Amino acid sequence: MSERDFHPLVKQVLDGDITIADLPAELRAEGEEALRLLAALDRRPVELPDLTARVMATIAERPGRRLWRRVLEPREIRIRVRPWLLAPALAAAAALVLWLGRPGSPAAPSNPSGLVTVRFVLSAPDAHDVGVAGTFNQWDASATPLVRTGAGVWTATITLPAGEHQYAFVVDGERWVPDPAAPAVDDGFGRRNSVLTL
Amino acid sequence: MFASLALPLALLITQQQAIADRLAGRVPPDVAALAMELGTDAARRGLPIDPIIQKAIEGSAKRIPAERVGAAMRLVVTQLDAAARGLRDGNAVLSADTVAIAAGAFALTAGLSGRDIATLARSGSAPADVIVGLRVAGTLVALGVPAVETVTLVTGTLQAGRPAGELLALPGRVQAEVAKGVTPAQAASGLARAAAAQSRRGPPPGRGQPPPHPAPPPHP
Repeated sequence: MSERDFHPLVKQVLDGDITIADLPAELRAEGEEALRLLAALDRRPVELPDLTARVMATIAERPGRRLWRRVLEPREIRIRVRPWLLAPALAAAAALVLWLGRPGSPAAPSNPSGLVTVRFVLSAPDAHDVGVAGTFNQWDASATPLVRTGAGVWTATITLPAGEHQYAFVVDGERWVPDPAAPAVDDGFGRRNSVLTL
Repeated sequence: MFASLALPLALLITQQQAIADRLAGRVPPDVAALAMELGTDAARRGLPIDPIIQKAIEGSAKRIPAERVGAAMRLVVTQLDAAARGLRDGNAVLSADTVAIAAGAFALTAGLSGRDIATLARSGSAPADVIVGLRVAGTLVALGVPAVETVTLVTGTLQAGRPAGELLALPGRVQAEVAKGVTPAQAASGLARAAAAQSRRGPPPGRGQPPPHPAPPPHP
């Protein structure tokens, strides 16, 4: 594009400060040419998209960030319930629940390495502390404390190797009590040891 | 000559040190000394030493006087000897297995006899299954099942070639039946009849062997 410098008086005409009649006679031709050029300009408004949006659109986003935004950004979700799909969906959910709860599922205690998870329970409402001592913890009354779960019921869950174990509950550090829910044998000292065979 | 003497001596010292380590800080010195003596002698005769050590620790934890702990440890040794004899009468291979001897001693403590141990040992099952059978038999007797019904039930289950998990489930099944109102003997007899029926149908493929001796007759 060529560039042309008009006389300052002509520029005033273009700016609308003076009319072409105010120009000296020698400048009127230049003034008319300037007005003609000005009239030829395309005066339609230029529509520019938002600058920020244009800049951000050019920045390539990382896929992971895009995924996070999709997950975390609040969005409007519309759910359309189709009654003819409801019954199969409920049936599938029920089947999944039954499958997860079947015997031998991972939720059940497993025994892949000869270890078995066992829960000891004793009802002792007046006790201040209860432990279980046996062949599995060198008869150490403080090694496996039971936790009070309410209404005077004490429990402990531990993992034991397969085999035969003998044990007794130790109430308040001094009273040895056999498990009322388990078979028992003579301990050789005039008392009874409970038996657990895994 | 020197080597033939040095090796057993080294083994003896190692064994005594292992016993001393397990008892250290847990039992009084006189109990520890007796446990060491009994344990060393038991090991020399091929018996397990763990039940002896456990009894020493148990007695001390229960604050039992030393002389009574000593008597209990001697009783354990007697039961281990009796269990080894019973196993030898039933299956010579098992009599060399210290785990089987310990399981047999537990069954004796629960109330079975040496003859019962021999009957279970000659069930013809794999040694690992017999060991489980001995433990389960002791547990059943501890539940109140008479010895005859116990041996019938466990032997029948072993000879039916059922997996060890089914043996281990027997005490729980007896307890469940007792909770319904039957006696432990009746519960065991019912389960034994079911095991006998299974045995007549034959073991599942790949399990069990034909018993070398007939199963004991069911108790009336």
